[in-house]
Formats: sequence, C-alpha cells, structure tokens
Amino acid sequence: MSEAVQDLGPDIDPRIFDSEEFQKDPFPVYKALRDHHPIFHDRFHNRWIISRYWDVDGAFQDSDSFDRAMYKPDGPYDFGSRHIFGPNILEYGNSDEHRRLRNITAGQFIGQKLQDFIPMIHQISDEVIDQFIDDGEVELVKQFASQVPIRVISNMLGFPREDEDTFVEWYQLLIAGLGFGGEHLERGLQARNDMWDYIDPMITERTKNPGEDLLSRLCVAELAGSRMSREEVKGFVALLLAAGGDTTEKAIANMWYHLLYTRPDQLQDVVDNADLWENVFTEMMRYDPVVHAQFRYTTREIPIHNDVIPERAGVILYLGAGNRDERAFNDPDTFDIHRDDLHMGRENRSGRYKDKKNGHLGFGIGQHFCMGYSMARQESAIACSKLAARIKKPKVKFGEHPGISSPSIDSGGFRSPDELWMEFGQ
Amino acid sequence: MKVKIDKDKCYMSGECYYNHPELFEMGEDGYPVVLVDDINDDAMRKHADEAIEVCPAVAISIET
Repeated sequence: MSEAVQDLGPDIDPRIFDSEEFQKDPFPVYKALRDHHPIFHDRFHNRWIISRYWDVDGAFQDSDSFDRAMYKPDGPYDFGSRHIFGPNILEYGNSDEHRRLRNITAGQFIGQKLQDFIPMIHQISDEVIDQFIDDGEVELVKQFASQVPIRVISNMLGFPREDEDTFVEWYQLLIAGLGFGGEHLERGLQARNDMWDYIDPMITERTKNPGEDLLSRLCVAELAGSRMSREEVKGFVALLLAAGGDTTEKAIANMWYHLLYTRPDQLQDVVDNADLWENVFTEMMRYDPVVHAQFRYTTREIPIHNDVIPERAGVILYLGAGNRDERAFNDPDTFDIHRDDLHMGRENRSGRYKDKKNGHLGFGIGQHFCMGYSMARQESAIACSKLAARIKKPKVKFGEHPGISSPSIDSGGFRSPDELWMEFGQ
Repeated sequence: MKVKIDKDKCYMSGECYYNHPELFEMGEDGYPVVLVDDINDDAMRKHADEAIEVCPAVAISIET
C-alpha cells in the first residue's frame, strides 16, 4: 500500500511550466515527470505531456497517431493563412502536400548540393572573425553566432553581397517579432514583406535563367513534374531565416557556452583536436538542445502507461526531457563530449544507428525530422573550428554567468545565452 | 521484380520508409523491410523508383 502511494510521486503544479524558473532550469521538473508521471495530464493547460526517451521516440515515429497539425472535422488541417511564414512545410501535418514540399526542398541541404556551399561557409566564418580578432575579446552571441548563419543563408540564396547587411536586418526584425510579439511582430511582418518584395522579381528571373544558387534551385526543383509555387518559395525563404538561421545561431552559442562554463576542462581537448567539434554539437543537442518541446495532436485514443490520451488531444513531447532519461543514457546530467553511449556522428531521420547507440532527440525523428540536420551540424562545426584555430587560450571574461534560458520552452522558444563574453590571445 | 536492400550500404536514414510506407517499413533493427514481395504494377514500380532516387546510401535496387 505504501509503495503504491509512493509510486504516485510528488504532485506537479502545472503553473510551474509558465514560470521563469522552468525556462531557466526545466530539468528537475523533467525528472519528476519521467519518474513519477510518464504520462501527465496537465488540466491547467489542457494538454498531455510525454517525457521518457522511448515514449518521445515512439510518438515521433507514429506520426499517423500523433499529427503535427490539428485536423478539422470537415477537412484535413486547421491552419490560418495569416501565418507569419506564409504557406510553408511546417504547417502541413502528415499530408501528401507535406511530403511533396519536403522532398522538393530537403535534397538541397544534404550531400553534394550541401558540399557545393561548404567553401563559402569557410569564407564567411573568416570574414566574421576578422571583425573582432584583434580585440582580444568577443561577445560571442552578437559578434559571432548571430552573424555566421544568416550571412551563409544570404549567400546560399545568391543575394548580391552589397544587400547582405539589409538581409541581416530583415532577419533580426523577423526573429525579434517571433520572440517578443506586439510592436516587434508588426515590424517583423513589415520586414518579411519587404523581403518578399525584394525576392519577387528574383523568382521570376531565376525561374527563367536558373543558376547554381539555392533560390534558383528552389524555383526549378521538381518532384514528379511538380514545382513549388511562387508563394511557396517565398514562404520557404522566410521559414529558412528562423528554422535555418536562428536555430544554428543558438546552436553555435550553446556549444561555446558549455565549453566555457559547463565543461571548461574539455575546452582544450577541442582546441587541440578540431574533429571533436562534431562531438560538442552532438552532446549539446542531447544535454540541452536548442528546442526542447514539440507539439502534436492525437488522431485516435492512445493507451499509454495505464492511461489513455483521448483523440484530438494536444500532446507535448519533451525531447529535452527524453535526452536526460537514465533509461537511455548513463549519467545523463553530465555534459561529456567523449560520451561513449551516444551516437556521435551524423543523425538519422529514423533515430536508429548501425553502432546500436541511442541518438539525441534534438532534431526530432521521423516524418518531421529536421531537414537542415546535416547543414546545421557542418556549419556549426566549421564556424567553431575556424574561430578556435585563430585564437589562443580562450577563457571566460566573467566568472559568473546567468545561464541559458528560453522565452518559452512550451511554445518551442529556443534556448540560448543572451550574452557570452570570451577573452583570448593570438 | 523484387526490391533489394543492401544492408552493408544502408545506414538507416529512413528515407524509404518515411516516403514510401506502401512499400517499406522500419524493421525491429532499424533497417527497412520490403512489404511487397513481387512488384508487378506501375504504381508500386513508381514508389520503388522514387525510393531508389531518394536513398542517400544508394542501398536500394530492383532485381528482375
């Protein structure tokens, strides 16, 4: 009897999910969820929460039962035309439309097509580093992490270099709009419209005379004779700023944060061996990934852990919690770039690996697995190794750091430090 | 015609089974399992051809 009572574990007050404390350090709550409430009915927010590694994996794999978009009684999906990115791949749940858009675009970010852009990533990284290398110190978020990915995207799209700073400005306004709402959102939408006006004639031109740039490739890419419409190309470019730019920016900042503050004893290992930057990327994506939560809607009743999630219920998948699950990783709360129980190489959409190790859940799995996975990994590793190669004895400027946080974990807000100062010799 | 998977080349990217669930599913070990023994209609052949095209490991082939 006493054991059964103990199994219920500590109650979780669902208001914790809205607290600042949770945005900063959600991990104790994640552990309470995994250990005592593997399926948690959060009546306050009207949703269900899944937190164990294999349960999160199972929900990602079963996208027929856990749909990314809400479906309507009379039609497939419920999403408005007012969405900030316009028509885009993220809003089409499990439909053929999603598969079509994904297959047209995904191929642009892997394999040889990605390799075509690698020399440019090296060049942009060096240009950004040139701006602060003589200072002996750098604020990594503003001067480094937030500069590289967006300039890379601008060049991938084939925008003229003299327009690059304007493009960076649109990016910052759009991202601020997504993060803060209100008047920021108004300015963000204006920036998006300015960008759409800017690329509209380019789409016409490059559809007629395509080059090797990404915008041309998006205009003419075909799948079974089908191309993206003009509106879909515009929507995809806007999406690329947030999904490809902002995420990679946060990833780079988090990698340095963990080496400077979480495991300073492993920083020198990476400085000595640049190959280890991919391990830093992988372990960061496990230990504290940029995105912690994904939302799904059930399309049927789901029996799980002696409970039943009803049909059409909202479900939060805490991949940030699954990544810390003792059932999947030894000593999960330790950040260790030499970890031998984590698949360290390139991620698979299946979440299954030949080395039989478990992978991190940071890119999701299955139907909606991040299609920028390969680019994010390579770009982060290149930018970081370029910087490490040009500095000596990197160290923190301030002994104390307020830590990393998210504007809202449950809304998919990205986790990252606001500022990250580093000193170095040359 | 039969669809063959070369398990040495395959690295479980999952592209075949997420894109063509009519023809493939994920096996217990993560490798794809071919669901249709004998391909003899055009629709299934089209799925097979597309899967061959999107497989990043070049691990899928058709044996006649």
